[in-house]
Amino acid sequence: MLVPIFTLKIKHKIHPRMVTVGKYDGLHPCLTCGTTASKVFVHNPHSPAIAGGRVAVQDSDISLLTMNQSVSAICAGQLDPESKRDVLCIGTQTNLLAYDVHDNKDLFYKEVPDGINSIVMGKISSVDAPLVIAGGNCTLQGFDMEGEDRFWTVTGDIVSSLALVDFTNDGTDELLVGSEDFDIRVFQADDIIAEMTETEAVTGLCRVRGSRYGYALANGTVGVYDRSARYWRIKSKNQVMAIHSFDLDGDGVPELITGWSNGKIDVRSNSTGEVIFKDNLTSAVAGIVDADYRLDGKNQLICCSVDGEVRGYQTDKSRLQIVDANRSSDDMRELNLTKQNLLLELRNYEREQEPLRGEQVTAMERVEGGIIPASTTINTELIIEQKEHPCIELVVSTSNETIVRMVVIFAEGLFEGESHVMHPSPNNLTNEIRVPIHPTKDSAVELHIQAFVSLPGSFNFHVFEVTNHLPSFSAYLYQDNIPNIPESSVTFTLNERVQRVGIWINENFLLRHEVPCEESIDCHFIALRGGDLVIKMDNSGQVRIYTDNIDLAGDVIQSLASFLRLDHLQVTAHFPMHLERLSSIMTSVDNLHAVTQKLAAEMTDHSNLIRSLVVRAEDARLQGEIPNMKKGYMELQDLNRDLVNGYHVRSTNHQELVKSLKLVNQIIQKASQLRVGKYKAQLVAQCRDAIKTNKPSALFKIIQAGSA
Amino acid sequence: MEFDLDVVDYLQAAVTDRKCMSILPNNDKRRVTQKVVVGDKSGVLQCFGVKKRDVNNIFKLLPGAPISRVQLGGALGTPQDKIFVASGADIRGYSRKGKKFLDFNSNLTETVANLWISGSDLVVGGQYVFNHFSDCVDQGYYLASDKINDIMCLPKPDEGNLTSVLACNDRVLRVLEGCELKYEAEVSGSPQTAVAYKGNGGEEGRDLVYGTSDGKLGHVLLTGEQPIYNWEINNESNLGGINCLSHYDITGDGVMELLVGRDDGKVEIYSYDAVDQPTIRFSHSFNESVTSVQGGVVGSLGYDEVVVSTYSGWVTGLTTEHLQKKVSGNFQEDSNFDAETTKKLLALRAEIDSLQQQVENERNKHMQRTSKAVASNSDIMTYAPAFHVNDKFVLSPNDSSYTLSIEVQTAIDHIVLQSDVPIDLLDVESTSAVVSYTTNPPSTDGSSNTDNFLLATYRCQANTTRLEVKVRSIEGQFGHLQAYIVPRLQPKTSIMRKYPIKPLSLHQRVHDVDENRAMNELKLLGPFSFAEVHSWLVFCLPDLPDRTPAGDNATLYFTNTFLETQLVCSYSKGEARICSDNISTISILKDIMSKEATSKKISLNIQFDINEDSIRDTIRLLHPKLDQQLMLAKKVQLLDALQELQTHEGNINFLAPEYQQILEEAEDLKIQFKKQPARLERLYGMITDLYIDKFKFKGINVKQKVPQLLATLDNYDQETLIEFFQQP
Repeated sequence: MLVPIFTLKIKHKIHPRMVTVGKYDGLHPCLTCGTTASKVFVHNPHSPAIAGGRVAVQDSDISLLTMNQSVSAICAGQLDPESKRDVLCIGTQTNLLAYDVHDNKDLFYKEVPDGINSIVMGKISSVDAPLVIAGGNCTLQGFDMEGEDRFWTVTGDIVSSLALVDFTNDGTDELLVGSEDFDIRVFQADDIIAEMTETEAVTGLCRVRGSRYGYALANGTVGVYDRSARYWRIKSKNQVMAIHSFDLDGDGVPELITGWSNGKIDVRSNSTGEVIFKDNLTSAVAGIVDADYRLDGKNQLICCSVDGEVRGYQTDKSRLQIVDANRSSDDMRELNLTKQNLLLELRNYEREQEPLRGEQVTAMERVEGGIIPASTTINTELIIEQKEHPCIELVVSTSNETIVRMVVIFAEGLFEGESHVMHPSPNNLTNEIRVPIHPTKDSAVELHIQAFVSLPGSFNFHVFEVTNHLPSFSAYLYQDNIPNIPESSVTFTLNERVQRVGIWINENFLLRHEVPCEESIDCHFIALRGGDLVIKMDNSGQVRIYTDNIDLAGDVIQSLASFLRLDHLQVTAHFPMHLERLSSIMTSVDNLHAVTQKLAAEMTDHSNLIRSLVVRAEDARLQGEIPNMKKGYMELQDLNRDLVNGYHVRSTNHQELVKSLKLVNQIIQKASQLRVGKYKAQLVAQCRDAIKTNKPSALFKIIQAGSA
Repeated sequence: MEFDLDVVDYLQAAVTDRKCMSILPNNDKRRVTQKVVVGDKSGVLQCFGVKKRDVNNIFKLLPGAPISRVQLGGALGTPQDKIFVASGADIRGYSRKGKKFLDFNSNLTETVANLWISGSDLVVGGQYVFNHFSDCVDQGYYLASDKINDIMCLPKPDEGNLTSVLACNDRVLRVLEGCELKYEAEVSGSPQTAVAYKGNGGEEGRDLVYGTSDGKLGHVLLTGEQPIYNWEINNESNLGGINCLSHYDITGDGVMELLVGRDDGKVEIYSYDAVDQPTIRFSHSFNESVTSVQGGVVGSLGYDEVVVSTYSGWVTGLTTEHLQKKVSGNFQEDSNFDAETTKKLLALRAEIDSLQQQVENERNKHMQRTSKAVASNSDIMTYAPAFHVNDKFVLSPNDSSYTLSIEVQTAIDHIVLQSDVPIDLLDVESTSAVVSYTTNPPSTDGSSNTDNFLLATYRCQANTTRLEVKVRSIEGQFGHLQAYIVPRLQPKTSIMRKYPIKPLSLHQRVHDVDENRAMNELKLLGPFSFAEVHSWLVFCLPDLPDRTPAGDNATLYFTNTFLETQLVCSYSKGEARICSDNISTISILKDIMSKEATSKKISLNIQFDINEDSIRDTIRLLHPKLDQQLMLAKKVQLLDALQELQTHEGNINFLAPEYQQILEEAEDLKIQFKKQPARLERLYGMITDLYIDKFKFKGINVKQKVPQLLATLDNYDQETLIEFFQQP
């Protein structure tokens, strides 16, 4: 059990994931959290609080900052290499504010149309100054202390977490980006140098030490990676609210600390995932940070709950001993459990010593003893059922008169939960169960199949465990010919034999027979989720992939490239439909921008009018001219209504704009996904330039050819 | 004062049954620690003592038939240090050295489930039967009308008969004198165990403490003629059912403390105050159900401790000696202690390694056998490996939901729950298993799939041996919940357990009802036997024994735990009278009984008498619940907005007093709201059923008026609702 060295009760709610700590005067750490009513509070127990401007002092040591927009991310850190003072960065859905708390002034206030979901501060290798990096809808943007835009790139989906980690162990930090498409991407400058696919949206990332980092997923998983290899992970039914690394037992190695939605905090060894300590807050954890909050020269681990409970824990070497004592008794228990398990297994084998003939078994034993012929085997097969609605089916069957009562499949990312159960009604039990599978993503999945087998009527089952591999592109049905070859395509040249590509196809698609691939390849597929795919390759090495689905084309190229170990690949893309879409989006973005400007002007007009109306009405009141005053306030009310209407228009307009921008970013990302290696980064950089300089035609060219 | 007790593990036997562990009293004057005797399901009886933290076996007998009880006895007035063991239908007696002095066959046709020794009197109990022997001579028997959960005998007075108390499943303590039933003491839950108050039964030796399957504790004085009830502790926090009780003076202040072991792994210590009211002083949670709890001096001299045996066979002490402090306080001793533990760990590891080797060999042999069988396609059969499951499916009246607890002797890998009735699974804070639901596709013909309303897997974390799930059922919908339990055992195997969800699943047996309520009556007449009508009721209602009650007729009382409406069933051959103030209850019973009768080709004559006043009464009964829930929902809804205002304005003085109050009670409100999820929805559902059923008896279908009813409920007012019900 973990005993806090201090506890505080702050009379404010704390929004989850919006907790940071900064030394705004360069000396005293202040806990800073997002709270209700779009405010941010700064808890400053050490020096007198500042007031004025954005800040309102509430209690003696709490000052409130009003943002007037709902806060979506906060982070404190150093931006000015010259100064020791931390800057507080606050992100909202439209803006980024860098704020100097000590001097109570804004450093910069930038419009970020893609919104901000996550902020980190620090240095990355490509830029010499510290940056504040904000992740929004598919984009990453970095600003320096001047508010200058120094870094920009796109990523696959909405950014849900960011961290700076020395991934390559070269002394400089790389940017890790977790996004809602389940991926963790590692950016070194503009290049993606690694990409790990997880099973859910990545909600938390934190550096542990060196190239090791912790991650958290929306489904309650936490774990640790070292580079692109996963060390361990655990899954809980609760939500992970925050992860942080801190050395709590003083052994010089930081532990991974996880805060959960049920208020639990657990401290796990970063190398094994074993729980070393735990504690419970009374409500969900909102955030975990560390700082020298007692000003005694040592950092404490600070955990905050959503109800404003704050607990601090100290590094303590004596914990190690208690841990050892606890561990040995835990070990004892665990070993005893293992022993009992082994003994039980032995006893079960002993029972098997005497062979049992079918005719010896009484009817009663058949039902209760869970008896099956020893020769029973189980078969699993993945097939594509060519019915009216073709789908993949997993067929699980036994070799004799035994029945398959139920099939349970554990597979990640394939089903809504982590498992799928097929439990036929008791009247239709046979020796075969067919499980329809509808993959929603093109990724390879291991299916851990458990078949419950018995003689009819038994309550005791043998569980057969089988693992099947569902290839990446299983949702595509091989055809000898399809009527319409899709209009869009990608063309590139490979310096490889046709047979190698043939092997790739055989491994990654669900096929009845091997595809003929002697001289050239010409494969046609019908996609179960709609759309067709054609892959052609001739003996000169030219490959053409026809599909109207740009994501699929990207996935195919990435999979092929990693199979053939290609470092770089440039392609020619022909996606008329997507380009058309892009051009219409670009026009609508322009229109939306125009509308925004117009509305902003209107709003300024209105607020001027309001000011004068208030003055006039108040004058009238002071002079006792009640009818005039009434008139004034009536007008004011009308104006107010207009303003409210205007606001609604603006907000829908803004929503539209955000949506469109996200689409643009996504198309750029998808286009970059068609290329491999340096061409990928090049495409993103050039697209950014084209957008900045407002050259849509260049944008189209880049997307098609890969460069301007 | 709170106790501060430390956990010490002693040893692990095989799976243990309830009351299979005892602490032997010291009979010599030498100051030594007490010995512990434990019997397990593999039939091994072992006795051990502890010397300098080392566990020494005094004796360990060979495996045999599973041991179901261990009881101490001896001549009256001498230390009770003879060990009596119930195993199969046999009773065996051993001396404290392990020498057998008695082997006695009880002539019971079933396993002896209960055992009590008092001097030369021996009492054995099966499921329903109670049998009394004196000096191994049969003195007579008694047949109880429901399952006997526990038997204990009151300390024998100087003259007169042995007084025994049977804790029976139908919520009664039956007091027998000799083999004659003297009277029945009604208690509020089905008693699982009973012990003499403060170890000796109080002043007259006739005081009892009992514990029930729904977690209640109570004290009753069984005088010669009638019971006098003293205190009862309700199970407010929904703890597990009580498995075992014992008294021991752990504080050493001369007053006994009550030790309680529950089936969810909780061990509690209650102490009695000046007026003999119990207060809780200590609570510790093990991860598996507690099978017996005793007090004694076992670990080291001078330190009292509570010794606990758990389901998987662990014998563990909760001692007043502080081991932890020793570790950090004294370095010298610390290293000593460490070396000892390390030695033990090493020995254990070595043992496991050799076992592992053995298992590996056997596994290979198994594989060979199997592949040979497959190759030759032989007709050899093979067993599914067996394991023991301890499961319970009980209604917890506090929140009107069922608690399913499953415990296995080894670690659970996963459990699949399947149900053919619509039920909701609720999250239990203590379980760490990862749940995943399978949304069931409609069956091939397009109709919704009625076989699998629920399919869920619970994947357990490593080393979990116990899983608890809460299940919420709807009255009128019935079927089965099935659990497929898969432990981490090679070769993999599974046991399926089936739990019935009865049509009137939220009803609970009680001893009497309020006679003054307006009741509706349903009368069934027809050529059915007493046993038949009883079996129909067993099908519909929980808490009933399968055995037909003795006599020609029976009257049973029930209450709905959610609505507190009541039900009276009195039936005999050819006639059944069912009364309830809740029309829905009547309607459900009518539907099911007539269906059952039809399936047996019995033609029923059904008469019913609907009392209009009953509707008004039922709604009045619901009113406080509904009102409270609506208020609560409303307040919780306002809470966030009010709190935002509070932060914005800095103070709340400007708010109306009622809003200020909501803010003050914020925490309480949230806890209350969290405690009873979907309670309002359930109430709405039941009121809707009531409405439909009321008109069904009149032959009117009012389904189309349900939206109107719901609208009325949303703007709830008691009188308006009653009016709505009375509209034609």
